[in-house]
Amino acid sequence: MRGRDLSERTLGVLLLAPAALLLLVIVVYPIATLLVNSLYAVDNANPAAGEHFVGLDNYARAAADDRFWNATLHTVLYIVVTVPGALLIGLGLALLANQPFRVKWPVRLGLLLPWALPLVFAGLIFRWFFEYQTGVVNDWLARLGFEPLQWLSEPNLAFAAISIAIVWKAASFMGLMLLAGLQTIPRSLYEAAEVDGATKFQQFVAITLPMLRPAIFVALIFRTITAIQTFDIPYAMTGGGPGDSTETLAMYIHKTTLDFLDFGYGSALAALMFVLSMAATSGYLRYTRRSAGREP
Amino acid sequence: MSGPARRAIPLRRRTVVWLAGLVVAVNGFFPAVWIFLTSLKTETELIQSPITYLPTAPTLQNYVVAFTTQPLLRFMANSFVVATLSTALCVFVSALAAYALTRLRIPGRNLIMAVLLAIAMFPLISLMVPLFKVMRELGLLNTYLALILPYAVLSMPVCTLVMASFFQDIPPDLEAAAMIDGCSRVGALFKVVIPLSAPGVFTAAILAFVNAWDEFLLALTMMNRVNMRTLSVGITLYQGEFAFPWPLISAALIVAIVPISILIAVFQERVVGGLTAGGVKG
Repeated sequence: MRGRDLSERTLGVLLLAPAALLLLVIVVYPIATLLVNSLYAVDNANPAAGEHFVGLDNYARAAADDRFWNATLHTVLYIVVTVPGALLIGLGLALLANQPFRVKWPVRLGLLLPWALPLVFAGLIFRWFFEYQTGVVNDWLARLGFEPLQWLSEPNLAFAAISIAIVWKAASFMGLMLLAGLQTIPRSLYEAAEVDGATKFQQFVAITLPMLRPAIFVALIFRTITAIQTFDIPYAMTGGGPGDSTETLAMYIHKTTLDFLDFGYGSALAALMFVLSMAATSGYLRYTRRSAGREP
Repeated sequence: MSGPARRAIPLRRRTVVWLAGLVVAVNGFFPAVWIFLTSLKTETELIQSPITYLPTAPTLQNYVVAFTTQPLLRFMANSFVVATLSTALCVFVSALAAYALTRLRIPGRNLIMAVLLAIAMFPLISLMVPLFKVMRELGLLNTYLALILPYAVLSMPVCTLVMASFFQDIPPDLEAAAMIDGCSRVGALFKVVIPLSAPGVFTAAILAFVNAWDEFLLALTMMNRVNMRTLSVGITLYQGEFAFPWPLISAALIVAIVPISILIAVFQERVVGGLTAGGVKG
């Protein structure tokens, strides 16, 4: 038996080796170099000399960089607006989709299409919706008797338009997850409540929401972690403008690294973002471990 | 059979159900329908005020222009090569890992699962910065490998979890029987476990493919030669410096969306199952 145990362990190592190797090359090594790179900078007085060690200067620079704080603020605002927004719309979509349809595919595909659409395409399409003269949104406003709005060239409106696009894109995926959660709730609970004379709303508050709590929590965490990285939709809709008014942290990092070619500073910003995201992830892991422990 | 059962549901209830479905479907389909309509319009129709909804003189001209002004077929081919190869690599590597994690008693199993989940939550932008430098040093910028390798890793967590949940449901006796018949353990994996969990392997493959097909940030970063652009980045090249030729962009978008839409329409139940498996089970 001891021999078999050993070979099982060896086999396990062999089977996990390709995955570990890929992780090492694509994740572990780059992240290690990220942290090292963040300690280097190009001397503007002598750019030909290449990058030299500057210690934590890049981080100090970030602390004093208004554009960095602005981008961070925008990212936080997108999180604050789109996470609850996508949850509410997603919950609505899930409740609507959880009906006894005879033909299921249009509803299922209606939830899947926004998920499968690349983020950058969603951004482009919503940019088209929000165009000043030819966009369909201003046409609706006009039909309702309102003045057309400068959606993409006024900072607050641009933020609103981008948030709407993000919520639309994210709500369907949330809807799918919450729908799966809804379908695990036993019918008998509702039937019992019906017998007791509970209204639909009372049933929703007393049965649906509590039973849905794990699915809601997981969906919220997923959405928050994705919202931290918001890039594609504002990139396609405004490019961060007008000015820097809709620029997110991810966009600023991308510009710093690839447009300004400031690798050291870009690395420091990326490292800060890494820490922010990992904090959210560890919260998620702690929750899943706790809920896994609760299962029989 | 459905006749009497249907009559049992009151008309009002049936209308509510029908409306609920309509709202979800319109919400999902409207953007695609709108750009399809736009793609059939001419630039002159576009600037009419008030705007038209249905094209007054539908034309396919935008599609012709979409294929001639940018190498749209090349973009598609690039996306296809990158998505297919990264999916193959991802599924192969993840299948081995999922098998080890579900069927073998190995130490640190939970830790490995936790690391996998952590990678799934990883901010891509943080990875992009150093990965760009690594790829540049290796001379891999503007090669398919620069996207295939990271995409395979990005989908590895979800693929491993999906396949692990399928592998778990296969009775160990079947595997044991194969091994008594002279199969090695790895042989049993490829001859028994994987064929029996084909739906799981397939689901994982679709998810990996869609992830790769849709990715934008790395594709934008690693490929700066027009001929190496993938679809998600290539479509953004249609915009002029100041003007957005929306009918043309819409036509290109439709061309780009159709393949992936067909894929998920055909395999929708599987995709939903795969997507929600991770979420609901936590």
